[in-house]
Amino acid sequence: MTLKKRYLRITHLLFIALLLIQLLPDRSTKEVFTGSLIAFAVGLEVIVFVTSSFIKKEESLSLLLDITGFVFVVLGVWSLATAKYNILNDLLFPAPGKVIHQFTEDKSAIFTNIVSSLGTTIKGFLIAAAVAIPLGLFIGWSARVGGAATYITKFFSSIPPIVYIPYGIALLPTFKSVSVFVIFLATFWPVFAGTMSGVLGVDKRIIDSAKVLNVSKPEMLFRVILPASLQQIFLGCNQGLSVSFILLTSAEMIGARDGMGYYVKYYSDFGDYTRTITGLLVIGFVVIAVTFLFNKLQNRLLRWKR
Amino acid sequence: MTTNKIEIKDLTVNYIENKRSFNALHDVSFGVADGEFVSVIGASGCGKSTLLSVLEGLYAPAGGTVQIDGKELHGTGTERGVVFQHYSLFPWMTTRKNIEFGIKQSRHDVKRSERAKIADEFLTKVGLTGFGNKFPSQLSGGMQQRAAIARALAMDTEILLMDEPFSAIDAKNRVILQELLLKLWEGDGSEPRKTVVFVTHDIDEAILLSDKIVVLTAHPGTVNEVVNVPFERPRRREDLVKTDEYGKFRNRLLSLLYNDIAERIGGDEVVL
Repeated sequence: MTLKKRYLRITHLLFIALLLIQLLPDRSTKEVFTGSLIAFAVGLEVIVFVTSSFIKKEESLSLLLDITGFVFVVLGVWSLATAKYNILNDLLFPAPGKVIHQFTEDKSAIFTNIVSSLGTTIKGFLIAAAVAIPLGLFIGWSARVGGAATYITKFFSSIPPIVYIPYGIALLPTFKSVSVFVIFLATFWPVFAGTMSGVLGVDKRIIDSAKVLNVSKPEMLFRVILPASLQQIFLGCNQGLSVSFILLTSAEMIGARDGMGYYVKYYSDFGDYTRTITGLLVIGFVVIAVTFLFNKLQNRLLRWKR
Repeated sequence: MTTNKIEIKDLTVNYIENKRSFNALHDVSFGVADGEFVSVIGASGCGKSTLLSVLEGLYAPAGGTVQIDGKELHGTGTERGVVFQHYSLFPWMTTRKNIEFGIKQSRHDVKRSERAKIADEFLTKVGLTGFGNKFPSQLSGGMQQRAAIARALAMDTEILLMDEPFSAIDAKNRVILQELLLKLWEGDGSEPRKTVVFVTHDIDEAILLSDKIVVLTAHPGTVNEVVNVPFERPRRREDLVKTDEYGKFRNRLLSLLYNDIAERIGGDEVVL
């Protein structure tokens, strides 16, 4: 890559444009925290600029710069519409600097809520996967009665897990355990169905190949059938994971006393829309981060596939 | 009684497809001596692969018996190593792990720590030094079959069953693989040769490799003739194909294969 290609990019111009916009006089009646916005933008620009000198692949560089450019454009338009020209209602639409400021103010509370939300999700998800995968392997393999099991799974997975919440509240002692239970249900069925369909779809030649090696039953299940169905299992896990986040935040808005869904609901009830928007954005970042890490894991475990 | 390593007697196999039963093999009998290389050839649909899957223990016969060392065969067993046309290796294990897994299954005396060393030894034997960490999908078809052979040999089974192992390989690499297998099987005389049953539809492949060729006839599969291959070992392809005997022998096999087909077509015409 030439130096020009690496450093002379439109993203950096957008950064300068964003700074120039901040020179305009503020017209909002509320405090707008221009300093926080500038600090954030400069920080982001410095990180991206430094990172861009290490990236080897041109597509990765463009991807990073395009996303950053998008962020600068959004921040620019947002500050024009709020702080600078006050086009939008400033109670419902806080200036970007204000959201950033709020985040730094609240970061320990937000962190606690993220930990709580993630803890619940991971617990429910892991328990579901730990039960659904072996069970799916076992039923899919030993009986090979795919038909019946598939219909039963279809029935249970067609019940939206959120409707279990009232019953869960009656059954379980704490709201936390209800959340874990609902996430468990949301993950269990897709993972179980994915595992079963994976097992039923394993190439007969692979099974023959394992049989002639005289593998034991546990080896057949966990060293042959499991890896051979792994792609389908991951399909189920991905589905379970994305439904889990929807459910968790919904559940937290219903009855929890912590978690990101609670944070958003709680402050919007008080009309604190700065915190509401902060919460929304944080949820977005957390979900993206978790999905990203999960995809990394998936690519790692399936790297033998072309 | 002769003491054959493998004794196949009046073997009959029925296949059920769409609720109809097909007679895939009918009264097939032949023996394979210890350390003998036997090829089974025949037109497609003659049941040669079915015969092998019975020997592998994957398919139960409807009648007749298969004995190994005088004991009747039931199911799969670790005294038999198998090389298939496809998927001999597990795609999620590296070639080294595949071989280690094979060794673990058949050689309980080998310590876990020694498996990798043995795997690398056999990878070197088949010309795959340095490919131990590659997944099968990262190798060409020919290299995959080399690795499959390496695993079968590393498992050190008394019997090797090979089901058209080179049929999916391009012509040039097929010849190279045949010569590799020949070299590895003939060995240097320091170790007893393995007993091999090799299924193929390639006449030249069968002649080059085998001590004995079983020619099957189709519908249902029966033994047309068992032919001894008269050529001395160690064999070299270049020397072998030049001789008149090779041409004569090849023609004889061809006529065994194709007379059968010609008769069949003639027979059909009569019916018409």
